[in-house]
Amino acid sequence: MEAKTSERIKALEEMIQVVLLAIPTEISAYEFYMNAALKSTSDSSRELFESLARQEKGHEAELHRILAETKTELSELKRGRP
Amino acid sequence: MNKDELKEHDGKDDRPSYIAYDGKVYDVSGNNLWKGGMHMGRHKAGEDLTDFLPLAPHGPDVFKRAREVGTLEATPSDRAAERMEMLRRLYHKVHPHPIVIHFPMGLYVFAALMQAVFFLTSNASFETAAFYAIVVATLGAIPSMGSGMLSWWINYDMTLTSIFRNKLFLSVVLIAAGVFLVSARVMIPEISSRLDLLSYAYNVVLMATAPLTMLLGYNGGRITWPQ
Repeated sequence: MEAKTSERIKALEEMIQVVLLAIPTEISAYEFYMNAALKSTSDSSRELFESLARQEKGHEAELHRILAETKTELSELKRGRP
Repeated sequence: MNKDELKEHDGKDDRPSYIAYDGKVYDVSGNNLWKGGMHMGRHKAGEDLTDFLPLAPHGPDVFKRAREVGTLEATPSDRAAERMEMLRRLYHKVHPHPIVIHFPMGLYVFAALMQAVFFLTSNASFETAAFYAIVVATLGAIPSMGSGMLSWWINYDMTLTSIFRNKLFLSVVLIAAGVFLVSARVMIPEISSRLDLLSYAYNVVLMATAPLTMLLGYNGGRITWPQ
């Protein structure tokens, strides 16, 4: 296996780990803001927390997308396809 | 249409570009911002973009300019994903793994400490304490590994990375060490005091359970506080 390919594989595996560990953080943040929204005592704070929760959901979705793309690239590299 | 049917409308090879938002499917073919089924080099046609919208520089009003072509229906895999989501929320409420791991972690280190005090004092009570600590630690290590694998399945889709590889390996080694120690001590109660190869192996393995446990904990910490 070429050195470059091997380095790329290592980099992708590390990237997968980084993104994988970040996803639960976004989920926890989403749940935190949703709970905060439920406990809000004013409409403005509830709307703020719900907006923040939606953004965390967006972060989670982006991370899932990056994870799926990275896993696909890794599996193709390992199979020896360009 | 369902998600699999939506995926077929990815804007490639002259196929139409469909996207889903909030349960509705829109045709964005011919839209300059969706050339080749790609939007801003980031979002692909043929996907549900509901969760991505809060991060967009625009709101859902943009969909008023697109032609609505249907609704997005749930598939068995969507329902499976919902069940997994419920499991994940339940796991987060109960979080069994951080609870159960503390028993073997503390007890293996305690056992090594007791064995060390036995070596220094020749007081058999410490050796007995070490043995019972190993028994309970090993019994506790099994649900610890089980709850860890449950967490790995629920939270990380059983994706094998270096951290999880380390934890799996160390867990198996630790449980195997515990089983060896308990079996050897039950069969040969005076094993700690003998001067033969088996006794040497017993004492080395017993003392090794402490750093093994710490290494397991360290890898768990890398998950909780990723860098």
